[in-house]
Amino acid sequence: MATREVISTGNELSAMAAVDAGCKFFGGYPLTPSSEVMHVISDLLPKVGGVAIQMEDEIAGICTVIGAAMSGQRALTATSGPGMSLKAENLGLAQMAEVPLVCVNVMRGGPSTGLPTRVSQGDILQSKNPSHGDYKSITLCAGSLAECYTETVRAFNLADRFMQPVIVLLDETIGHMHGKADLPTQEEVTAGIVPRKSFDGPAEEYFPYECGPTEPAVLNPMFEGYRYHYTGLHHDKNGFPTEEIETCRKLIQRLEDKVAMHEDELESYEEFMMDDAEIMIIAYGSVSLAAKESIRHLRAEGIKAGLFRPITIWPSPAKKIKEYTDKIEKVLVAELNIGQYHSEIQRAAARLDIDGLFKVNGRALSPHEIVSKVKEL
Amino acid sequence: MSKILMRFTGVGGQGVLLAGEIFAAAKIKAGGHGLKTATYTSQVRGGATVVDIQLDDKEIYYPYANDGEIDFMLSVAQKSYDLFKDGVSKGGTIVVDPNLVHPTDEDRKTWNIHEIPIITIAKEEVGNVITQSVVALAIANTMMKALDKDQLIEVMLSKVPAKVHDVNKKAYELGEKYAKADMA
Repeated sequence: MATREVISTGNELSAMAAVDAGCKFFGGYPLTPSSEVMHVISDLLPKVGGVAIQMEDEIAGICTVIGAAMSGQRALTATSGPGMSLKAENLGLAQMAEVPLVCVNVMRGGPSTGLPTRVSQGDILQSKNPSHGDYKSITLCAGSLAECYTETVRAFNLADRFMQPVIVLLDETIGHMHGKADLPTQEEVTAGIVPRKSFDGPAEEYFPYECGPTEPAVLNPMFEGYRYHYTGLHHDKNGFPTEEIETCRKLIQRLEDKVAMHEDELESYEEFMMDDAEIMIIAYGSVSLAAKESIRHLRAEGIKAGLFRPITIWPSPAKKIKEYTDKIEKVLVAELNIGQYHSEIQRAAARLDIDGLFKVNGRALSPHEIVSKVKEL
Repeated sequence: MSKILMRFTGVGGQGVLLAGEIFAAAKIKAGGHGLKTATYTSQVRGGATVVDIQLDDKEIYYPYANDGEIDFMLSVAQKSYDLFKDGVSKGGTIVVDPNLVHPTDEDRKTWNIHEIPIITIAKEEVGNVITQSVVALAIANTMMKALDKDQLIEVMLSKVPAKVHDVNKKAYELGEKYAKADMA
């Protein structure tokens, strides 16, 4: 694989990735610690014929993104926790109407306005179900500078494949750290783009929501000769509201199954020194960097620790987690919240004895803290 | 050099971030690994700001400098100095602007403290207070013998507008001069 070396921050790389992946629209409202995504993409998009707009608030931001996506464009919004809370209702609309978009969330301390400039991973459960109702979220989490780029690219491809919002989680540390990233070339990124499906038959035979029980809707761009209705209400094959019992059931079941039945296409994780590991640390995002350094120290002392790092956070790599937790007794989940992913690991492992190392004061978990905790296990 | 950990501290708005970016980029261009990570408060100006700079020949994972292991700290604000000095290893080097930071006698026994009026140098001798981060860059690089001077200056110039190249070159030379004088 050809690579190019870029020296930048996670936020900047995420903006760059969106443009390289064919994003032509950004709508949002600047929010620490995500603001640089908007700063950079506002500069980049006009150069490729795209548009970036600062709206009056977070809600309007995501609404413009839904509009751009309905017009067939790849579209992005970026924010942090408080913005995610405001966008939640419209993320739900995009789930229901099956509108593909990407939302980058650079996590900071919460709840509410919380700790604006400080790192946190408190939005893990929020990203699983940002709004009310049943659907299956797709959430990716970058654990390095390079992944701020590659996961944003992957998010756009998955959004078009599954016709729904895809959330990319960064955290303040990853978003703001400045260093080297080895990235795929623009040619490679372009070659990997699979445009969303469209219908090209006669307009009277087009039913966007008439699709297989595990497949996403086929939404042609608006204003191009194919008419349909789009709504947050339960809807029929044309998109018109309905309360017909079977149609309603099938719709919601399909929103679940279009993702659940294709988890193999989504699964992504990293195994770091897991081959002979007798202790497994599970961490994601910036905490995985501290975990890797802690493993260097532990190994130097003869303690065989390894890291399992989910990259696709939702759906979680549950089968792989179970495989490991069935054979490794000592398991530690380290995260910057009070056990949000820990509960998912316990579920996947079907074990209640998984250890946790949690921190919620806006400061990073240090390698030394992880080393000490591992030694206590 | 295998690994150098530096910490620049000040208050928001002083521009301490830029020096870190220049260091990291220059180390990467020289074929190594460099990482800059800043933490700051939610105050736009006046909040304690800290920039950790790690330069290493091997891959860097954890993006912050571990407290107690820092080789060099530079501080231009008392509150940041007080908050972050304990991260410096015993016997490590601390450079402060004596007009803004007043180390205790105990501090002077613990660390190798240098007093250089960084802001005054930038304001009066260079003629542009904005160049304080380049004065700081030169002091840090000279004292730590971190990177090749010419390479560092080249990266620094690539990050500032052409019209201020000369003034920044001057800032670097002055920073180096003061550092050498203080070390002598």
